[in-house]
Amino acid sequence: MSKETYVEEIRPHDSAYKHVSGYAEYTDDINEPKNTIHGAIGLSKKAHAIIKKIDLTEVQKSEGVISIVTQSDIPGRNDVGPVFDGDPIFPKKKVEFYGQPLFAVAATTTELARKAVLKAKVTYKDLKPVITIKDALNKKQFLFKPRKIKKGNPSKKIKNSKNYIKGNFTTGSQEHFYLEGQAAFVIPKEDDNFLVYSSTQHPSETQQLIAKMFGQKSNSISVEVRRIGGGFGGKETNFMTACICALLAKKSGKPVKLRLDRDDDIILTGKRHEFLSQYEVGFNDDGIIEGLKINLSSNCGMSPDLSAAINERALLHIDNAYYISDIEVINNLCRTNIPTSTAFRGFGGNQGMMAIENIIDNISRYLKKDPMEIRKNNFYQKEKKNVTHYGMTIEDNVINEIFKNLENKSNYKKRYLDIRKFNEKNKFKKKGIAITPVKFGISFTTIHLNQAGALVHIYTDGSVYLNHGGIEMGQGTHTKIAQLVANSFGLPYNLVHISSTNTSKVPNTSASAASSTTDLNGAAALNAVKKIKLNLEKFIKKKYKIYNQEAVYKDQHIIFGNRQFEFKSIIQEAYLNRISLSSSGFYSTPKINFDKKKFRGRPFYYFCYGAAVSEVTVDTLTGENVLERVDILHDAGKPINPALELGQIEGGFVQGQGWLTIEELNWKSNGQITTFSPSTYKIPAVSDIPKKFNVEIFKKGFNKEKVVNKAKTTGEPPLMLAMSVFYAIKDAVASIGNYQIVPELNAPATAERILMSINKIKNKIKNQNGR
Amino acid sequence: MISNSVKFLLNDKILEIKNPDPNQTILNYIRTELKKTGTKEGCSEGGCGACTIVLGELINNKIKYNSINSCISFVPSLNGKQLLIVEDLVSKDGKLHPVQDAMVRFHGSQCGFCTPGFVMSLFSMFKNNKSFNNELITESISGNLCRCTGYRPIIDAAKSLNKINRKDEFSKNENKIIKLLKKIKSKNIYIKKDDKVYFSPKNIKDLKNIIKNNSKFNFLAGGTDLSLKVTKERKDILSIIDLKEIKELDFIKVNKNYMEIGAATPLIKFEDEIKKYYPDFYSVLKRYGSVQIRNVGTIGGNIATASPIGDTLPILLSLNAEVLIESFNQKKVLPINNFFIDYRKTKLKKNEFIRSIKIPLFKKNIFKAFKVSKRFDDDISSVCGSFNFEINKNKIKEAFIAFGGMAAVPKRAKACEKILKNKPLTINTFDKAKNYLEKDLSPIGDMRASKEYRLEIAKNLLMKCFIEINSNKLTRVN
Repeated sequence: MSKETYVEEIRPHDSAYKHVSGYAEYTDDINEPKNTIHGAIGLSKKAHAIIKKIDLTEVQKSEGVISIVTQSDIPGRNDVGPVFDGDPIFPKKKVEFYGQPLFAVAATTTELARKAVLKAKVTYKDLKPVITIKDALNKKQFLFKPRKIKKGNPSKKIKNSKNYIKGNFTTGSQEHFYLEGQAAFVIPKEDDNFLVYSSTQHPSETQQLIAKMFGQKSNSISVEVRRIGGGFGGKETNFMTACICALLAKKSGKPVKLRLDRDDDIILTGKRHEFLSQYEVGFNDDGIIEGLKINLSSNCGMSPDLSAAINERALLHIDNAYYISDIEVINNLCRTNIPTSTAFRGFGGNQGMMAIENIIDNISRYLKKDPMEIRKNNFYQKEKKNVTHYGMTIEDNVINEIFKNLENKSNYKKRYLDIRKFNEKNKFKKKGIAITPVKFGISFTTIHLNQAGALVHIYTDGSVYLNHGGIEMGQGTHTKIAQLVANSFGLPYNLVHISSTNTSKVPNTSASAASSTTDLNGAAALNAVKKIKLNLEKFIKKKYKIYNQEAVYKDQHIIFGNRQFEFKSIIQEAYLNRISLSSSGFYSTPKINFDKKKFRGRPFYYFCYGAAVSEVTVDTLTGENVLERVDILHDAGKPINPALELGQIEGGFVQGQGWLTIEELNWKSNGQITTFSPSTYKIPAVSDIPKKFNVEIFKKGFNKEKVVNKAKTTGEPPLMLAMSVFYAIKDAVASIGNYQIVPELNAPATAERILMSINKIKNKIKNQNGR
Repeated sequence: MISNSVKFLLNDKILEIKNPDPNQTILNYIRTELKKTGTKEGCSEGGCGACTIVLGELINNKIKYNSINSCISFVPSLNGKQLLIVEDLVSKDGKLHPVQDAMVRFHGSQCGFCTPGFVMSLFSMFKNNKSFNNELITESISGNLCRCTGYRPIIDAAKSLNKINRKDEFSKNENKIIKLLKKIKSKNIYIKKDDKVYFSPKNIKDLKNIIKNNSKFNFLAGGTDLSLKVTKERKDILSIIDLKEIKELDFIKVNKNYMEIGAATPLIKFEDEIKKYYPDFYSVLKRYGSVQIRNVGTIGGNIATASPIGDTLPILLSLNAEVLIESFNQKKVLPINNFFIDYRKTKLKKNEFIRSIKIPLFKKNIFKAFKVSKRFDDDISSVCGSFNFEINKNKIKEAFIAFGGMAAVPKRAKACEKILKNKPLTINTFDKAKNYLEKDLSPIGDMRASKEYRLEIAKNLLMKCFIEINSNKLTRVN
């Protein structure tokens, strides 16, 4: 990659034309063979119970029903757990969450199938469900033994510190609410082969799990994904839909389409982990943390799924951008009777970061200082205070610069003072402001997942076909990788054809997750390009007797010094000379290592940084609030396509804002979810976004590591920029007690929680005055 | 003139569906029968906007382009209209419509699944308005959810339309379409399909004949609530009488003392009229639901549904509105304050329909209404409070106060009113009165809000009234 030139080119998403005209095809849009039938899943109406009997007589008789499957139809592994067992496709004896699939039906239409599944008669013997973290902690109901990580001697440090506080803090769960729900389309082929279309972030695992379910080899299953209508982690595991669809196809021998209705989708799929942190912290008068002890408990739902990795990432991000010399964290993975909690943009990192930001915020309020100063006082430094609690030396720290830069750009200090003046004058409207940092580690912390493959062909007319293991879910990975490949060949973008992700073309891929899709697959694609280029160059040099000249690919030409070859004709020539014009490519991330047991190593190839300032106005009589202004400065390295990165930053921010403000999931004590449609579960709509939204990509951004284009990913990190919204709200609430009382506020900060927090302060003041 | 087929324009072609299933949604028809898959199913309840289509309707010899949720609208409601779907905005030579082009240029799509819905909402805005300010843009897309972009690029795309030549393929074609729409001018519809029947009369006389001869039926007056029986509960609605095609039920009359609104008048039409008299009524309606919902939802539908969280209801209660009711041989007037009996139960008898609603115009009163919900756009109220005060020389002469979301029915707060009446306009009066709301109201706690919060809000809204009246300023954040 010595001759690498960087791309920095704004262009629309590769599918933009198709998106706006309705021609972009999603799984449910794929044209069906005439004999296609349509599925629906029958769900458990209990959260925790022994299944006594499932009577499907009426289901069978229901109009249009062609095929029914239950657990007894599964010839192989009845489990879709990606790492550990625990996620039965259909449970044999016991249901473990409300909405757990019990059976499925295929009928002539989706509507008839959905009507039919409601006719099942299931008898249960009730067991007591455990729903909340508190319940699980009381019952010591854990997925794994609680884990402890430790550095230094926090107990001693806390004891010797001048200042000390302790407290509890929770962050809520979150529904992915991808606009395209879970969907699959499975077509049986000869020799028990199956062609599977699925809305998934992980085609390879879909392939493997269907094969295992059938007791067949992976080479009999082929999975294809052109694009998905949003994933956000919600389609990283969640293989239930594809597996059930495949089972129906196998049993009926017909093509089957299965798309979950929105309610069912929310009811039966896993969500973000709710976290509880119980902490005690010692600090000096500058707010510098001297010792920290945290109990970090998460609601993992009914099975392991990815909870171990998600909690691990929470532990790895409990520092956010702060140097903590002495720390102990005990991590409880609570098992409960809700759908298995799963991956969601941030993957535990954001929950860890919110826990430390809450502590920093409370330290500042205890010391009655501007939280910004306390944040700065605790930041990692470049030369010293640069080793994390897991022993990784941070080599690319730019948080101090970004923070300073944003502080000036956003006029933070003046606004901070103006807001205090405003609040003195206004009783019923209060403003708040906060600036928060983001440092987010990039790589799968399960090291072997950091690999990718690609396949590149050049056809004899000079057009390029590109395939790689990444999934296009809106982030623009196909666009960016095509830009890289086009640039590397010196070709215009439109000569590179982007194709569907397909397990038959690139095998054994990792999920499109961990913000790494473009880094990994882009590098694999460039590796394939490099191999083809070597073939070409060897051929040209030999035939045209060129020595010691390096090739430059530019403007559809291959240039060796003063010799130029038109790309299209030299390709034709190479073909006639029997030169290979196709190659696979492979990439594995260098440098990374992590000892999970010792919790030591370098789990991350690099870090992403950013910061945000938010300003809110709160109505103190209702708790309603508006986001007046947001300023963001985010490090995207050298962005391949700044427009797409900007889209990720803004979109990630608003998704994080939803998580921390209005998005609230609710389960009854019997385990029944009550928020399962857009009428009860509110994601941000257009009026929620900042009235002024100033987003900038850090101009000096550059990736020190050998990442494609020297870019830094913008997948997950921007979500955490929204922490500033939460702390701005808390700042506004603090004004009620004239900044003398630390507000009690948990996330999400709904209008109700805000009003209750305000009332608590008012009551405290009343009680103080009463005495 | 009765027909059992539905005739409409698919863009510029006349289509006829003979004897359709009256419970089939337009979305289902588009995707499975027209085999056009650009229009998406996102939620099947009109809550995400992915299924948004536009219906062109002939009004005063001009086409009005209404965005609606195709997932909760039934096929017969296409009758006599022009159906526009996202694929048909592209011109025959493959050129994108200016709205689509702007979405591309401003990076308004990421995963793309919500995009067709946004395009259709913006198309409706583009066609029905001359210029597009922030407020209009926000309102136009408030019923469309996007999980990827954070909306900023979509807003920018919409703003850019101000600079675009307004003549598009559709304005060029308008005369032709108007002719075609006149040609298919809708008739009375009577569909009988298996065990389902569907009537869509064109006038009151025919309506009365139908109710005279049928006993069990559901009135459809927008159907944003009724349709969920099909799309969510997976049940059939066996008999439907659609009131939306009856022009005599779609009117607004204003005189000195009151405004009268036909029961099937869409909310979107009503809100612009009521704005002149009760700005807060208008503000609540803007938050009532999305444009797609308000384009089809009617004031009569909201009243007859009698949901405790129907946002117009507490307002109508505090304004002492009257409901004009008719059956095939009788007419009567009921004060809305006597109309709601129990949870979703009203005094409306079988074979009676609401003809209109009369809202008194209190010229001297101070009227305030507030909606509090988790989200500003398209959310269901935690609490909706409405306050109508007659104040004279700093004394409260009359107080009519009502709440939604605070009991099984939308409810007047009579104990509180009594305390306020004939008292001086002071903070003490209100402070005392607010506690009486605990007597008046009995909220429940659910996923939207706790009982305690609801009660607290109700009290605070009363205080807000005092604060606003006293300071003569609004204290609101949105």
